[in-house]
Amino acid sequence: MIVQIVLLAAVLAALVMFVRRRHGVHMQAGKRVGLIAFAALNVYAVLQPDRLTEVANRLGVGRGTDLVLYLLVVAFIFGMLNFYLRFREIDRRFTELTRTLAIREAEIVNAERHLTATRPVAVTVPAGADDRVATAPTRPTL
Amino acid sequence: MPDGVTSNDDVWVVIPVFNEHQVIAEVAEQVRATFPNVVCVDDGSRDGSAEQIAGTGAHLVRHPINMGQGAALQTGLSYARTRPGSQYFVTFDADGQHRVEDALALLEVARSGAADVVLGTRFGAGTGRIPLLKRLVLRTIVALSPTARKLKLTDAHNGLRVLTRPVVDDLRITMNGMPHASEIVSYLAGSSWRVREVPVTILYSDYSRAKGQSLVNGVNILFDLSIRQRGN
Repeated sequence: MIVQIVLLAAVLAALVMFVRRRHGVHMQAGKRVGLIAFAALNVYAVLQPDRLTEVANRLGVGRGTDLVLYLLVVAFIFGMLNFYLRFREIDRRFTELTRTLAIREAEIVNAERHLTATRPVAVTVPAGADDRVATAPTRPTL
Repeated sequence: MPDGVTSNDDVWVVIPVFNEHQVIAEVAEQVRATFPNVVCVDDGSRDGSAEQIAGTGAHLVRHPINMGQGAALQTGLSYARTRPGSQYFVTFDADGQHRVEDALALLEVARSGAADVVLGTRFGAGTGRIPLLKRLVLRTIVALSPTARKLKLTDAHNGLRVLTRPVVDDLRITMNGMPHASEIVSYLAGSSWRVREVPVTILYSDYSRAKGQSLVNGVNILFDLSIRQRGN
């Protein structure tokens, strides 16, 4: 039942990676090494099915193909989490970009609708100056 | 700020809008009768909501595509905080389920300086009017949310809130979809802002009922939240 320990450890490793707040250079390199190792193992498995079965038996799995299948499941979970994290990061950037555009456009549109100029705040400062303050695309408000 | 308590010039009401053309103009004007500064964030509606808003005196910010209510709220807050003199920020639902009187009641608490954040709760009074299934969903979300329990909140998903300026300057809503409500609560739990809950009445019309959160959405919210707390 060595295999169960190995596989569970792998799943745990995937989760730990997922929990980690930042993904540094080491993590990046680790993922790539893992990918290459997995590919190499598969090449080996295709070329030497009998040897793979031996390895599988020693680990407590019936056939070599079963071992590959189990590893594939772990790799799949790993890959999914990785893609999910990356997708979310892209989504975040995309949101910020869209928000900046939307607010810039709104400044112009609402000024044309004479909303920014007619705000009650304009009473306390010269109307022209207030208008400029209100519509100036100042530092990004994100 | 020289603003009198009655003028509400320093208050900005943020209304996220997605496909609400039937009611949004009426809601916006109703709010504007009390609060002169209203910004409606049209979250990529395809039903002409933006045109409806343009016909009112409310400020209009348009997302070119639909990004979710959380994203719309953050956009509205970002816009409002650059307006001169803005001090208080009210979040208000577009479907007409909130009462302007309740917003005023929340604002009073914020103005008194007793709290930095005032949240509306459906469970303070008139609980009996909330549909049973919805009540169960909302209660479950609160029960499963450690942060809501920490703040002793009774309602984690009420769209009516009053935020003071320092809070808005600090807050960044990153959950674009519905979980933003829980995100706000967990942000508050992790901060030192003083949070108060004030009972509000929700007007459950057939219109808002059809639009509100379903049980299925509750599942989605829980999933998104659990992932968010790990990843970020």
